[in-house]
Amino acid sequence: MGTEPANGGYMVAAYVIVTVVVFGYAFSLWRRARRVLKD
Amino acid sequence: MIPNSATAAATIRRGQVITAVGLVGLVIVIVLAQMFTPVEARQGLAQKIFYVHAPSAWAGLMAFSMVGITGGLYLWLRDPRLDLFAEASAEVGLAFGTIVLTTGPIWGKPIWGTWWTWDARLTLTLFLFFLFVGYMALRGAINDPSERARFSAVVGILGLLLVPFVHLSVYMFRTLHPMPVLLKPSAPSMDPRMLRTLLISIGVFTVLYIGLVTTRYGLGLMQEAKGVADGD
Repeated sequence: MGTEPANGGYMVAAYVIVTVVVFGYAFSLWRRARRVLKD
Repeated sequence: MIPNSATAAATIRRGQVITAVGLVGLVIVIVLAQMFTPVEARQGLAQKIFYVHAPSAWAGLMAFSMVGITGGLYLWLRDPRLDLFAEASAEVGLAFGTIVLTTGPIWGKPIWGTWWTWDARLTLTLFLFFLFVGYMALRGAINDPSERARFSAVVGILGLLLVPFVHLSVYMFRTLHPMPVLLKPSAPSMDPRMLRTLLISIGVFTVLYIGLVTTRYGLGLMQEAKGVADGD
């Protein structure tokens, strides 16, 4: 234990990108839906 | 054949509920991957990128396949709803494709020592992504709905033909990309806790695909329904 390569920063960057893309796209669809459902 | 606004609104709401379930699932996957899945000895924490990279690839390939399948069905049945679904699936596929093409290099840098290599799997995945960028551009360039649907259906089918090559590229060519651990003839080759996280993540990304594509499809239906109501 404790001998694994120190590359946690790459993992954090990847998880941030996944979260931003998925939540961002879902949010953009939610905004578009709110607009059309209001009309 | 295009349903009314009420049906479109119900489709949007259904999609939003499924998407919300998927988003909660994504948070669970992140917690599972970080706290309840062991660190791989040789790759370290960077290996955990796999739990979002591979399921995104699965969802992206499923989305692009559905574009081709519904495109083919459109050419046969001429139902405009199939074209609207294909458009929705292409857009969602591009979102997942963006994840695949960014998380892959982020994993590659610490493990391979390079962000990118013109390896068969990577190159074919990039081609598939560009093909669907072109698909969306084509849709935006044609005003006549039936012509747009026909032309884009053909491009969608060409994309579908590329999907098996993307999956099988690791067998067909000498490649740096790791071999499949799940979709292969023999049993999965992983620690059970890692396999559990991967399978849950695949389930969650499938739910996310269904939720996002249903919402986006509902938006397309609504646009068409309003166009019909306005006499466009």
